[in-house]
Amino acid sequence: MTFDRVAIVEASLDTYLAQASAAAAKLPGDAPLREGSGLTARKAMELFEDQLLSRQLDVAARELKKTNRSFYTIGSAGHENNVVIGAQLRISDPSFLHYRSGALMMARARQLPGSTPAFDALLGIVASRDDPIAQGRHKVWGSRPLWVPPQTSTIASHLPKAMGLAFSLARARRLGVATDLPDDALVLCSFGDASVNHATALAAINTARYAVRLGLPMPILFVCEDNETGISVPTPEGWIASTFGHLEHLRYDMAEGEIDEVWDAVAAAVHFVRGARRPAFLHLRTVRLWGHAGSDAEQSYRSPAEIAENESRDPLLRNARHLVEAGAATPEELQALVADTRERVTAAAEEAIRRPRLETTEEVIAPLAPYHPGRIAARVAAPLLDPAARLELHGGNLPEEAILPTARTLAGCLNAALADEMGRRPEIILFGQDVGRKGGVYNITNGLQRRFGTGRVFDTLLDETSILGIAQGAAHIGLLPIPEIQYLAYLHNALDQIRGEAASLQFFSSGQFRNPMVVRVPGLAYQKGFGGHFHNDNSIGALRDIPGLVLAAPARGDDAARMLRGAIAMAAEDGRVVVFLEPIALYHEKDLETDGDGGWLTDYPAPPAALLPGEVGIYGPLDTGTADLLIVSYANGLRLSLQAARRLREQHEIAARVLDLRWLNPLPHQAIREQAASIGAVLVVDECRRTGGGVADAIVADLAEAGIGRRLWSVRAVDSFVPLGTAASAVLVGTDQIVAAALTAVSGRLRA
Amino acid sequence: MTPRAVLACPGRGSYAAASLGSLPADHPWVMRAEQLRAGYGLEPLLDLDRSERFDPSRHLQPIHASPLIFLVSMLDAEAAVADYRITAVTGNSLGWYTALAVAGALPFEDAFRLVQEMAILQQEPLPSGGPGGQVIYPLADSAWRPDPQLHAAVAAALADPAANGDGHVHESIDLGAYAILAGDEAGVARLLGRLAPVRVGARMFPLRLSQHGPYHTPLVAHVARAARERLGDLDWRAPSATLIDGRGARWTPWSTDPAALRDYTLVEQVTTPFRFAASMRVALREEAPDVLVLPGPGNSLGGICGQLVVAEGYRGIGSREDFETVQRSEAPVVLSMHR
Repeated sequence: MTFDRVAIVEASLDTYLAQASAAAAKLPGDAPLREGSGLTARKAMELFEDQLLSRQLDVAARELKKTNRSFYTIGSAGHENNVVIGAQLRISDPSFLHYRSGALMMARARQLPGSTPAFDALLGIVASRDDPIAQGRHKVWGSRPLWVPPQTSTIASHLPKAMGLAFSLARARRLGVATDLPDDALVLCSFGDASVNHATALAAINTARYAVRLGLPMPILFVCEDNETGISVPTPEGWIASTFGHLEHLRYDMAEGEIDEVWDAVAAAVHFVRGARRPAFLHLRTVRLWGHAGSDAEQSYRSPAEIAENESRDPLLRNARHLVEAGAATPEELQALVADTRERVTAAAEEAIRRPRLETTEEVIAPLAPYHPGRIAARVAAPLLDPAARLELHGGNLPEEAILPTARTLAGCLNAALADEMGRRPEIILFGQDVGRKGGVYNITNGLQRRFGTGRVFDTLLDETSILGIAQGAAHIGLLPIPEIQYLAYLHNALDQIRGEAASLQFFSSGQFRNPMVVRVPGLAYQKGFGGHFHNDNSIGALRDIPGLVLAAPARGDDAARMLRGAIAMAAEDGRVVVFLEPIALYHEKDLETDGDGGWLTDYPAPPAALLPGEVGIYGPLDTGTADLLIVSYANGLRLSLQAARRLREQHEIAARVLDLRWLNPLPHQAIREQAASIGAVLVVDECRRTGGGVADAIVADLAEAGIGRRLWSVRAVDSFVPLGTAASAVLVGTDQIVAAALTAVSGRLRA
Repeated sequence: MTPRAVLACPGRGSYAAASLGSLPADHPWVMRAEQLRAGYGLEPLLDLDRSERFDPSRHLQPIHASPLIFLVSMLDAEAAVADYRITAVTGNSLGWYTALAVAGALPFEDAFRLVQEMAILQQEPLPSGGPGGQVIYPLADSAWRPDPQLHAAVAAALADPAANGDGHVHESIDLGAYAILAGDEAGVARLLGRLAPVRVGARMFPLRLSQHGPYHTPLVAHVARAARERLGDLDWRAPSATLIDGRGARWTPWSTDPAALRDYTLVEQVTTPFRFAASMRVALREEAPDVLVLPGPGNSLGGICGQLVVAEGYRGIGSREDFETVQRSEAPVVLSMHR
């Protein structure tokens, strides 16, 4: 048995058309393809054109691969009945697509004259810089004018944001935030029968149903393109229908059979979602031709008979037969169409491989982490609430003018800063578990729902994946979300929503789509033994490992307020994704050294004062000649370092200057170098795991590589989970440790 | 193997002095055209074509120039069909009507009537009085590099037409390296006054196009209305080769709705900008032809198509110099038939 299955499937269609006879009568273009169907003969021909075009793109990808001129061979062959969805939805219906959406995209592009969908797809396949969506960074289905944000879709991680966008449509309208979408827009999200088993997919579908139960609009069409296989693993028979066919708050439609039957099933589902503003699950039956991708040797897990049987269900062959038998086209007409399509795709592929590719690092990373400090400064400065409105917002007492107490905790400053930002930026929405009525587990969002309403401040279900999905979806249409993940340890089950999705959106769309957000995450340890691992987690390595992500870690109230403003301005101006890591142990801390000293309280900095990455905090002797040691730290470590600095000064006559990083990504290397260069001895106090967070490693490495600092040292937490009770201190950095390390670092310097 | 070609038919202004004597009197199309002209009570085209000298005031009148151009283009296209495999047909403005006939979406006679009737209608004064007209302005320099300042100037001229006085201005045709703007008389005067003078090669711009009306703008909505009445009986068909229209939409032999093609031709393209650059971009990308074939008369689209090839980077042609080198080679990318 030959394994050039592409040639075999192509030949089957040719053979059929060569042998078929035309119907007795020509079906008029306006006539239904089948009595009672909404699909006309002419529209069916249009669909067939787009299906053929998609198929030929798959053929071209495999052909180019033979000579290593293409880089992506996951195709749409066998899935081409998704063309119907492309034809029936509008280009103002945001669509998050499965990677087998070629025919769907061809039909969607047809709605926008001047589109060049075949060539665009070829540019993606050959990874050309001219690819209009990803510029060669990935082969994705995406288009700004067609409202298709690019997805890799491989692990169904795009369902939560699609759900989030559907959730946000009505909310944006209600809040008066302008979108470019009509009031009756719906959201499309497609995926495969294997990937729907992902937790992300199930979470999104669950949240969509949950919203319905709450009476909230959720106009989303989930489309499961069921080819009964995940790479080599068959999906159990009937699995999709039995899993999703009987769920409350989720309409289920099966689309199978002839193209006109698929058309009518899709029409019914679309009509329902658009009108009822409720979710539907469309189960589109497909086959997968030619293996998972070009590199997948299907014959290693399927028998020749199974492969041949699968190919016999080729939708193109079936549709060709249906069109001929119905009289919509003659075999000769279809032969001419096939020949024309093959010819032009082959020619366009030859043209595509001539197009340039990304070459330099600068070109590749250009859209990854846009940063325009001047424009951000303008965003920080405006708009400002007028004084009377701001006074009213704060209930007649401006936080910076409060008489008792004059100074505030980190929690108090954050609460006031959130109120100020929400007051002046109507596009901000704030949500998460318990942030609404309760005002947050630590009262950070206290009173915000009362002040800004449930449209802007609301509780969600307890699912971090969906919280981040809502944030992404909302951000796609112009809202500025501030979601809260209740604890850092809870972020990890949903981390890919940030890493694989939110943070990569500008990269894979060349900056054409963005999802600005500031994700508030309470975390880190030092809660006096309370909470154990899940509430004291100090794992920031996974966040620091995300390209383009901004990671903020304030230690004090005044810093937190100013950093929050900077973070929001970066998100608003440059579309950045910011994780705002808040040290729980310092939320309500008042003292630096001893009970009642009030050393950790600060005045509230009135807007628009703000801080941006690179702007560090400096404590201790400011005259460089007088400092013996530079201690670099952040968050809880800052407070411990300041305590240690006092002991060093009083007990060892060592003058230590303390630098607060404030931002853990990007790290303020330049500011550290400047301080370190004049002092010489450097101690990095990193409260995160010795081999995990990477802050100390990065700083020491940078200084070493720059040849700055004659003595570099660090203290870090132990490679352990944080235990309950007093045992916590056995794995965390303490003041004694800092002092001891400082002495080593300084003595080393003195010896040098 | 027969080369694959996209055919691009020229618009008004392509018939010039060198075009005189293009029409073979014994060709059936010419003979049929003359019968139709007589029916309109218009001067024979052969008389115009055989004039001893080219008289712009006579030859460039729309009622004469349009059918002359149409006929010449048709004859060239007929020759091209014999030499190439035509994968798609497009045209600029009037050239769209020719394209319809070349691709068989209209029979010859119907297409001739379309051309002649439109010329007659377009020659009438605007409802607001006066002829109105078109103004051409460059968007690229003489090396065919896009000039952002010129783009900005055009955008500014279109942005707030009411700010500087009376009259209306609209975008009319997008040629890629040139914008054609249009307006009523006051609008044209404003365009000529507002667009900064600029020289490209030997020509100065802005330049008013002689005897051109404000085509492809809402100012000629009355033409669209009248065309629907006068041309209601045309025999629209699916084309035999793919057509690419002035928006860049493809009309294929297999799925074209003749009624939609009629509506686009008689209404939408009459009153909305004709984006020849978009149609050529679609042609280059989605058809990837071996060659662009330009029927005559003249070679008015030669440079424009060259500029579009360069803008697209087609076949790696990234500059005017590249283009001219390829044109001198054995495999030029643009072939002008020059009848």
